Amino acid sequence: MHSAKPRHDFEPKIIAFVCTWCTYAGADLAGTSRMQYPSNVRVLKFPCTGRIDPVFIIKAFQQGADGILVSGCHPGDCHYIAGNYHARRRFAAFRKLLEFIGVDLNRIQFSWVSAAEGGKWVEVVTDLTERVRAMGPMVEFKDLILEEQWSGGLNNPELQAVYEAM
Amino acid sequence: MIQTIDISSYSVITDAIRSEARRILSDSTVSAVIGYTAGRRKGSTQPIVITTADEADKLLFSAACLNDLVVYLTKAKKDVPKSGRIGIVVKGCDLKAVIGLLGESQLKRENLYLIGIPCSGVLGSLLKPSAELTTKTIASKCCECTDRLPVGCDFVPAVTPAPLPDLEKRYANEISQLEAMTPSERWEFWKEQFSKCIKCYACRQVCPFCFCEQCLCDRNRPQMVEQTPRPSGNTAWHLVRAMHLAGRCAGCGECERVCPMDIPLNLLNRKMAKELKELFNSEAGFEVRDTGPLTSYREDDDQSFIR
Repeated sequence: MHSAKPRHDFEPKIIAFVCTWCTYAGADLAGTSRMQYPSNVRVLKFPCTGRIDPVFIIKAFQQGADGILVSGCHPGDCHYIAGNYHARRRFAAFRKLLEFIGVDLNRIQFSWVSAAEGGKWVEVVTDLTERVRAMGPMVEFKDLILEEQWSGGLNNPELQAVYEAM
Repeated sequence: MIQTIDISSYSVITDAIRSEARRILSDSTVSAVIGYTAGRRKGSTQPIVITTADEADKLLFSAACLNDLVVYLTKAKKDVPKSGRIGIVVKGCDLKAVIGLLGESQLKRENLYLIGIPCSGVLGSLLKPSAELTTKTIASKCCECTDRLPVGCDFVPAVTPAPLPDLEKRYANEISQLEAMTPSERWEFWKEQFSKCIKCYACRQVCPFCFCEQCLCDRNRPQMVEQTPRPSGNTAWHLVRAMHLAGRCAGCGECERVCPMDIPLNLLNRKMAKELKELFNSEAGFEVRDTGPLTSYREDDDQSFIR
């Protein structure tokens, strides 16, 4: 029997972009080995970390993700020879861009998890989930979604006066 | 203190461009020359494509020659004659765009006749095209320019630009100011800036590197970037734009100049250029490279941020 799970006020949504050859197999190993890890993580399978476009991360945040995990093969192990090397450079740059825009980088985790590292997958996912839980919901991108068209706000006195006169 | 910048060399450059254009058009070295001509308002300029030697006197160069003409060479602009060799007038920053496009196999060097300009700087905007070029009215990109003398051109007018006064490094200062803020202050700053965007895509149309025939941001199945001018789609668009130009941007600053809503777009590009220089020691220059910083890798790249 499992021990009773603690109840939390906030359950973060974590989106994991994983490569099918290593991390997906690693997560599978964690599952078949009956290891416990938070169910907050939603796994999206990609052919390779090189296929993961930064725009996917933006999209995930817009759609309500609180944390992002990008994970693939260790350097040198890529099924497509060099996909993860390219991804490593791309995400090194993308992190800097997000930081400059004002996104807290603690919400984004990159990792190398091989097909044999079920334990490391559990560790990475648990750490990220607990860290994001402590940070609270990611509100920035969700607020943008809720905001009206740029010209739609009654943000100047003239417009406000016209609106009230109607 | 505002100092005047000496641009007396520009009249010599104008004469040199005209005689060179006349020569290469009359001996059929090129089929067309892309350059600047006088605009409608006094002092302003606009791009022109000339195809006969008689038109050479229309060309000129002044501090109001802001456009990056390289955009007319790309696939996105189909109305410039594609047959034969094309002559083009380039400043240092424009030349870097040519070099970038050569590296990306978008252009062939043998199809170009580059007329380089030893540049002393141009105005920041065309609102007052006949304004005097001073340390205040000069474009921000020119304040940080290190490549005033073009390298590897087919023709460069034999003038030496006068030494410039000390210029405030506007982008570098603004970037360090932003970096000193907290993440939430930065978010507020950019949210304010991006919410102004009207999605006119002028920044994309004017960019020499935005030559994709089908832009990712125009696709709707799947729709990766929301197309309406609302804050969330605007933020996504500007992030995607900055990311797609990272490691490629030549720093011509045209995106920022054409933006009707005055969004500091080049600030994002400069920030990415700075980071890529720090991370991978790579920056736009006068040397044609087959691969850019984000299309190549080293096995020992920094991975301290990866677990």
